[in-house]
Amino acid sequence: MYKKGLYRETDKMSDLICDNYPMVLVMCRFGIGLGFGDKTIGEICRQNDVDICTFLAVVNFLIEGKNTLVEEYAGQHLSVEALIIYLHNAHDYFLKFRLPHLRIKLVESINDCPEDVAFIITKFFDEYTEEVDKHMRYEEKTVFPYVRGLLKGKKDAKYNISIFRKRHDQIEMKIVELKNLLLKYYPGKGSHSLNSVLFDLFATEQDLFTHNLIEDNLFTPAILALEKQI
Amino acid sequence: MNINLKIAVAEVSSIVRSGVEVQMKRLSGFRFQIMEIARSEFVHEVIRTHKPDILIINPSMITGFTLQQLKEECGCPVMKCIALLYNLVDRSVLFPFDEKMNIYETNDEIRQKLERLYADEIQGVTENEEQQILSAREKEIVVCVVKGMTNRAIADRLFLSAHTVITHRRNIARKLQIHSASGLTVYAIVNKLIELKDVGKL
Repeated sequence: MYKKGLYRETDKMSDLICDNYPMVLVMCRFGIGLGFGDKTIGEICRQNDVDICTFLAVVNFLIEGKNTLVEEYAGQHLSVEALIIYLHNAHDYFLKFRLPHLRIKLVESINDCPEDVAFIITKFFDEYTEEVDKHMRYEEKTVFPYVRGLLKGKKDAKYNISIFRKRHDQIEMKIVELKNLLLKYYPGKGSHSLNSVLFDLFATEQDLFTHNLIEDNLFTPAILALEKQI
Repeated sequence: MNINLKIAVAEVSSIVRSGVEVQMKRLSGFRFQIMEIARSEFVHEVIRTHKPDILIINPSMITGFTLQQLKEECGCPVMKCIALLYNLVDRSVLFPFDEKMNIYETNDEIRQKLERLYADEIQGVTENEEQQILSAREKEIVVCVVKGMTNRAIADRLFLSAHTVITHRRNIARKLQIHSASGLTVYAIVNKLIELKDVGKL
């Protein structure tokens, strides 16, 4: 089943992470911690009660990126429960860790520029955080409960996943704007800490982008298939 | 200059598919998002979901449908189709394609073909790059937007039609790559077009 993916369950977890360090985030979002020695991906997933197929699907999807043969994943039997855990943990990571941390760093590194500029940049960031929060809250409050219902065999007459698919929009656009504003118009002196913020902005943009890709290309099709079954 | 293009490569051989992809990514001046289609029965689905700008397809994968039908059924009437050739093909088969690409082609030849297909866009992008600086009028409009004025109010204040205001705003967004009002606010403050106390809705 995984033949075409780059990684299989018999590969070592440490090889996966060393070859693709952003995958450490994926691992963590599935609830797998560090300190896994020389065990294989399969062994570690079983140990942590993580669905192997879903883990590999996410990992291989992210590694192969946009060049992935979309059709291959559509037919795979993914664990919807595991995907929800993954997505939920990712939301937590963005809202409770990544963005708040980034804010602290940002505020610190722009404190030498004029007060009004620092104020307006911080405000922009806060508005952005609010948008991400709203976007993810909708998934947490509306989409996930609906899907959990489906898993129990309950259909909702008023809701289906196509509604989500239609209203699901990009959330990294504004962070791109912030990045561009800093790059092109930042009036203060550059600094190591501001560069570090920029690196984080690039990484967060990428991370949010792929998060959405997973929702659109793995999660939504899996729910569509689930809806057909019931 | 950078033109973003979504490309679908439909070809059975994974080696040829990957080769096309690598070759495309070496072309400077373009930024490609490439998706691969390995089997004929998935062509419709991938085109419908991803709506690529260009379809590079081995003509032997077109079975049971015509390109025209494909474009119509998938809602991609303007998608450009390029025939990927490494076998002899009857000339009539190639008629509906916008362009042909054989596997012995050089980088420059491929680039020239793409540039021909996208001549208008390329011209547009080059013009864009020539004028990224805002005109005095556009700066006035940025200030009004940042103050929280509606398009209607801006039109009245500057004696313009609402339509002209919208056109200006579109040009501003394109030049600055800033699409939100709050992004414009940051721009206006940083560039001292306005003071913090004059910003609407803080």
